[in-house]
Amino acid sequence: AAPASAPLPPGPAVLKKRLVKLVVNFLFYFRTDEAEPIGALLLEHCKITKEEENVFSISFIEEPERKYCFECATEEQCQEWVEALRRASYEFLRRSLIFYRNEIQKMTGKDPLEQYGISEEARFQLGAHRQ
Amino acid sequence: MKLNERSVAHYATCDSPADHAGFLRKRVERHHHPAHHHGASYQRRWFVLKGNLLFYFEERESREPVGLVVLEGCTVELCEAAEEFAFAIRFDDAGARAYVLVADGQAAMEAWVKALSRASFDYMRLVVRELEKQLEEACKSLAACRKSPQKSSSSSSSGRKRHLSNPALQPLQEKPTTLENGYSTWSSAGCVAGGATCTDHDGGQTKPPPLPPRRRSAAGSATGSPAPGLSPAMLESPVSPETVCFSKLHSWYGQEIAVLRREWQERQKRGHP
Repeated sequence: AAPASAPLPPGPAVLKKRLVKLVVNFLFYFRTDEAEPIGALLLEHCKITKEEENVFSISFIEEPERKYCFECATEEQCQEWVEALRRASYEFLRRSLIFYRNEIQKMTGKDPLEQYGISEEARFQLGAHRQ
Repeated sequence: MKLNERSVAHYATCDSPADHAGFLRKRVERHHHPAHHHGASYQRRWFVLKGNLLFYFEERESREPVGLVVLEGCTVELCEAAEEFAFAIRFDDAGARAYVLVADGQAAMEAWVKALSRASFDYMRLVVRELEKQLEEACKSLAACRKSPQKSSSSSSSGRKRHLSNPALQPLQEKPTTLENGYSTWSSAGCVAGGATCTDHDGGQTKPPPLPPRRRSAAGSATGSPAPGLSPAMLESPVSPETVCFSKLHSWYGQEIAVLRREWQERQKRGHP
């Protein structure tokens, strides 16, 4: 999980200070003094865009013009968030798994998923989940 | 707690394939009798598993889910409910409610339990990390084999050939597109492609693809030196510990292809004045 920082969430011109926490494929956001999150964004079928300095945005495939903007304290932090968020979807993990499986199979002739007993699962087959 | 519901509903209902789907009967939980099974009632719902998310719909054709279970930190176990073919999703958090679900038969129940118990993001991440390591090790031992004198004559001729068997992989531009969530659904016609979509093309191959090229050995290091023409700062070897990221692995191969192409083209020019 990426380190919690305090980027600012969406809204037309108003930026509010929030604590943001990435947990698996959800981005939770909190008021800085509260333990319960105000809300969450599911990070599937989304696009992370590096905007101007210190700023990135998240938008979703079915509504690409709607951007959730986040301003970070530093540009470095911003890059870290962009990297972390781009790898945060389940779909990304799945594609990585298929890629590695295929590469290992090509190199060694063996299916690395057999040891886990999941080699037959449809979700891990090449060609699965193509859009 | 707010959620980007519209996007979630879209994800639930879009035509990205589900990992599992089917009708299940869901026990209705009564707050004042959480563990009271006697007289429990069940509702038939259409369940769809996508990744670590279990959606349920009133009807199979419903346009929006009525509920969502996030499958992290949970166990899936057979259930001693009064119903046959029942199983439960329970969470580590004692305060969280359990979901008791009933399948149509033995096979359906087993299929669901199997699918759900391996659905978590954490589990996937674990497997991916393991595979990353295995690939690293496979590359290292391949490089080690390649160094031995017997192999050098055969490798040097094949080394220059296109080493990734995927014919559709295009050389990357200077700034490789990084992978993003749901990349394949966004891709325009000029898809540089994440490794997975590219390797899909391998599906039809019948013979084993050519092995990756021999790394130019430098001071006996297993990872080899960067290909000429690229600054060392830009490159990381695909087998170095820093290359833990799928997108870096992909861009490394892409850069190597770009270099190989340039070299080939230059040789062509020299050979055909």
